Amino acid sequence: MIYGFLSSAVGGPSMFGIGQRLRTWLLALTAFVACVIAAGYHVMSMAGSAPEGMVTEVVYHALVLFAYSVIYLFLSDRLRRRASTSLRAFWLPILVGIALITVHYGLTSISRPPDLPTIASSSVTFGFEYGTGRPLVPATVFNMNAISLVAATFAFILLLRFRDLVLVKRTRASQRNWYLMLGFMAFASMLTFLTPADASLNIWQRLAMVPAIGFMVVNSLRLSWIVFLSMSEKLLSICMSLLLLVILGGVGIMETGGGSAAFDVPLPYVFIKHYSYPLSVFVSLSVVFGILYCTTALLSLIFHLPTTSDYQQRVGELAAMHSLTNLVGQVFDSDRLFSMIVASPVETGAGSAAWLSIPDRSSPTLAPHVVAGHSIDIESVHRLVDIPALYEEIAETREPILMEQAVADHRVTARPGEGIGSLLVVPLLSRDELLGALFVTKEVSHGFERDDTEAISVFAAQAALAIDNSRLFEERIERERLSRELAIAREVQRKLLPQSLPVVHGLSIAASSVPALEVGGDYFDFSELDDGRLAFIIADVSGKGTSAAFYMAEMQGIFRSLSRLASSPSAFLTTANAAVGPILERSVFISVIYGIVDPARETVSIARAGHCPAATAGVDGHPRLLRSGGLGLGLDRGEVFRESLHEDVINLKPGDVFVLYTDGVIESRNADGKEYGYDRLLDVLRDNRHEEAHDLHRAMTDDLNAFVGGSEYDDDMTLVIIKWHGIEVGNFSAASKSDPARIQEA
Amino acid sequence: MSNFSVGFRTSGSVQVLELNGELDAHTASELEAAIQKCIPSSVRIVINGQNLQYISSAGLGVFMAYIEDVREQGGDIKIAELQPRVFNVFDLLGFPMLFDIVDSEADAVARFETASSQ
Repeated sequence: MIYGFLSSAVGGPSMFGIGQRLRTWLLALTAFVACVIAAGYHVMSMAGSAPEGMVTEVVYHALVLFAYSVIYLFLSDRLRRRASTSLRAFWLPILVGIALITVHYGLTSISRPPDLPTIASSSVTFGFEYGTGRPLVPATVFNMNAISLVAATFAFILLLRFRDLVLVKRTRASQRNWYLMLGFMAFASMLTFLTPADASLNIWQRLAMVPAIGFMVVNSLRLSWIVFLSMSEKLLSICMSLLLLVILGGVGIMETGGGSAAFDVPLPYVFIKHYSYPLSVFVSLSVVFGILYCTTALLSLIFHLPTTSDYQQRVGELAAMHSLTNLVGQVFDSDRLFSMIVASPVETGAGSAAWLSIPDRSSPTLAPHVVAGHSIDIESVHRLVDIPALYEEIAETREPILMEQAVADHRVTARPGEGIGSLLVVPLLSRDELLGALFVTKEVSHGFERDDTEAISVFAAQAALAIDNSRLFEERIERERLSRELAIAREVQRKLLPQSLPVVHGLSIAASSVPALEVGGDYFDFSELDDGRLAFIIADVSGKGTSAAFYMAEMQGIFRSLSRLASSPSAFLTTANAAVGPILERSVFISVIYGIVDPARETVSIARAGHCPAATAGVDGHPRLLRSGGLGLGLDRGEVFRESLHEDVINLKPGDVFVLYTDGVIESRNADGKEYGYDRLLDVLRDNRHEEAHDLHRAMTDDLNAFVGGSEYDDDMTLVIIKWHGIEVGNFSAASKSDPARIQEA
Repeated sequence: MSNFSVGFRTSGSVQVLELNGELDAHTASELEAAIQKCIPSSVRIVINGQNLQYISSAGLGVFMAYIEDVREQGGDIKIAELQPRVFNVFDLLGFPMLFDIVDSEADAVARFETASSQ
C-alpha cells in the first residue's frame, strides 16, 4: 500500500503545493523521527520493557515501512535532477555500495566477540535471541539500524540512478514498465510482512517475485544510452559496470547471508531481516535488478565497441552537415566556405583527402582551378589528377564519377602509393548550373562504401547551395561597387568637360555632352591660342566604364598642354598619338577631331584621327562631311599614323557652320532598332543652317530626341556646333557680343 | 540577352570565325574568348562579317588586342564580307590600313595560301 502510493509519487511535482525545498526537508525530518522511534523500540525490546503482542509488531513494521518510503521520496527529491551523462549514473551507486560494504563489514567486525570459534554455535554470540530475533546488546541495535539504513539507501539510489538510464529515450510503454517493476517489487516485499526473521520464504512469497523479475528483465534491455557513447566513454562504462557488479555481488552475499564465511554472519542473522523483512526483500530485489542491468549493460557495451567508429562517423556527418547548412547563410568569405566544403568529407571519414575545383571566372574559357584542398597540397593535385578532363566529363554528364581503382584510370597520373587509391568526383549543381566539382579520394582502392558516396553527394548538394548563395551575394556587391565607381567616373567626366565656353569674335559656339549610364569616354574642349585663334577638340575613347573615363582625363591633359605648342592640327595629333599610344591598352584607341579657327585669316584648319567626320554647311551650300583620312590615336605608333593623316584648310564665309559629334549620336537607335545615321543628321543641318549656334544645337538635339523616343540606347552623346558669323569691318566685337556662347548640359 | 554569337569553321589550315549579331562593349568578351580558343591551334584567322549587324569601338578593340600576338606568331587576322555600314566603322578609324579587309572569305583564305606558298 505504502509502496503503491510511493511509486505514484515518484518523479511527480511537489505534493500539496509545498515548496520543493521545504518538502524535501520535511521528508527528511519525518524519516528521521520514524527511524528514531523504531530504534527506540529496539532499545526497549532489548531491555525487555517493550510491549509485546501482534499489535505492537504491526505498528512497528508499518512505522519502519513508512519511514523508508519517506526516505525513498526524500532521495527521489534529492536526485531529481538527472545525471548529466550516462557515466555519472554509475558513480553514486558505486560510492554508496562501497560505503555499505565498509559499514557492514566494519560494524560486524567491531561488534564480533573476539573469541568466536566457529560460525553459528550460539545465537547469543551474535547479539540476537534465537527465534524471535530480539536484540540482546546495544551494539546489535546500532548495527541493525545503521546497516539497514545504509543498505536501503544503497538500494534506493541504485534504482533512482538506473531509472535515468532505463528511461533514456523514454516512451509511454517504457515508463509504464519501470513503474510496474517497482510496483511488483513492492508487492512481493509486502507479502513478507510479519514473516519471522529466521523463517525462509514460502511458495506464495516466492511466486510473487516472478512478475517483478519479469519486468526487471524487460527493463534491463533498455540500453539506448550506450549508443551515444564515444569509444573512451564506452571503455569507462565497461569498467564502472564491472566494478558495480562486484559491489552488487558483495552486497548480495551480505544481504542473503550466503557467504557467511566472508562476513562472519550466519544465514538466519541478517541484520536487515531482523529490522524489517519486507525492506530486506525489497533491497534484495533491487540488488537482483542491479546485477541484471549491469550484466546486460556490460554485454551490450562490449558488443557495441566495434561499431562505435561507424556511429561516430554518422554523428560527424550530421554535425558537418549542420555546420554546412549554417554556412549557407554565411557567405561573406568564400575562401572559408571553400575550405569548409573540402574539410567536411575528410573530417567525417568519408574520404581521406578532398579538393574543390571551380571554373575560373577571370578566364574566358572558364577553365577549372583548384580553390581549396584538405589533407592534400593544392599544387600537387594538378600533378596527380587530370582535373580539366574529369571536369569536362562532369560538365557533360552532370553525374558523379566513381573510380574504384583510380591509378588504373588514364586521367589519374598518380602512381600507386601516392594516396589516390579510389577517387570520387561529384558535381556541384545549383539551378541546373555546374558551379564546380568536389574531388574526394581514399588511400585504398575500392575505398568508398555506399554510405560514403551518399554522404558526399549530400555534402555536394549543400556545398552547391552555399556557393551559389555566396556567388549571388558577391555579384550584388560587385554591382554596387561598379555603380559607385561609375558614379565617381561620371563626376570626373563632368568636371573634365569645359565649364564655360570661350567667347571669340565672329564665332558662336554651342556644345553639350550627355554621358551614358555606363560612362563613356567622350570629350570636347576649347583652347584660346595667340592671335585670337581658337583650338577645338572632340574625342571619343573606345569602350566604356572607368578606364574610358581615365583615358579621357589623359586626353584632356594632352590637349591642355599641347594645344598652345602645336602649330597645326596634324602636328597636334601626331604628337598626341606619340604621347598617348604607350599609355593605352592594346584594345583601346581614341578617335579625335582637332581644329584651329583663325578669325584674322578667316580660315579653319581641321584634321581627323579616326573620328566621325565633322559635318559642315554654308549659307547656300549643301551640307557635307569632312572625311579626310586619319587613323585613331593608339592604333599605330609610327609611320602609318603620320602617313594616313590629312589636314583640311577651309576658307570661312560668314554663315559657315561646323558640327562635331560622337558616334553615340549617329548610332542612336529608335524603338525599331533603326540608327539615326548620317543622312538624317545632314538633313537637319541643311534645314536649320541659318540658325545661330545654340538654336541649331537645340534643333538638332530635339530632332535626335524625337527620333530616339523612349528607347534605351545608351552611349555618350556629344554635339558641338561652331558657327562663323564673320567680322564687320571696324567693329570687331559686335558679332560675338550679340551672340554669347552657350553651354548646354543635360 | 546577348544577341551576338561566334561560329567556328576551318577552311584548310585557316580558322574561320563567323560573327553574328551585334558586337559591342558587352559582347566583346565573347569574341575575345573565341579568338583565344583559336590561337593555340592556328594563328591564321579569317573573320567572316556577313552576319555582323553592328560593331562598336569596343568591338574593334578586340582585333587590336590580338593582332600583334597573332602576327608575331606568323599568322594574321583577315576580315571579310563586311556589310557596308559595318565597314564604314572600320574605315572611319583607318582599319583598312592596319588589317586585310577583303570582300570575300575565299579571297581572304586564298591570301593565306599564297602567303604560305611563297
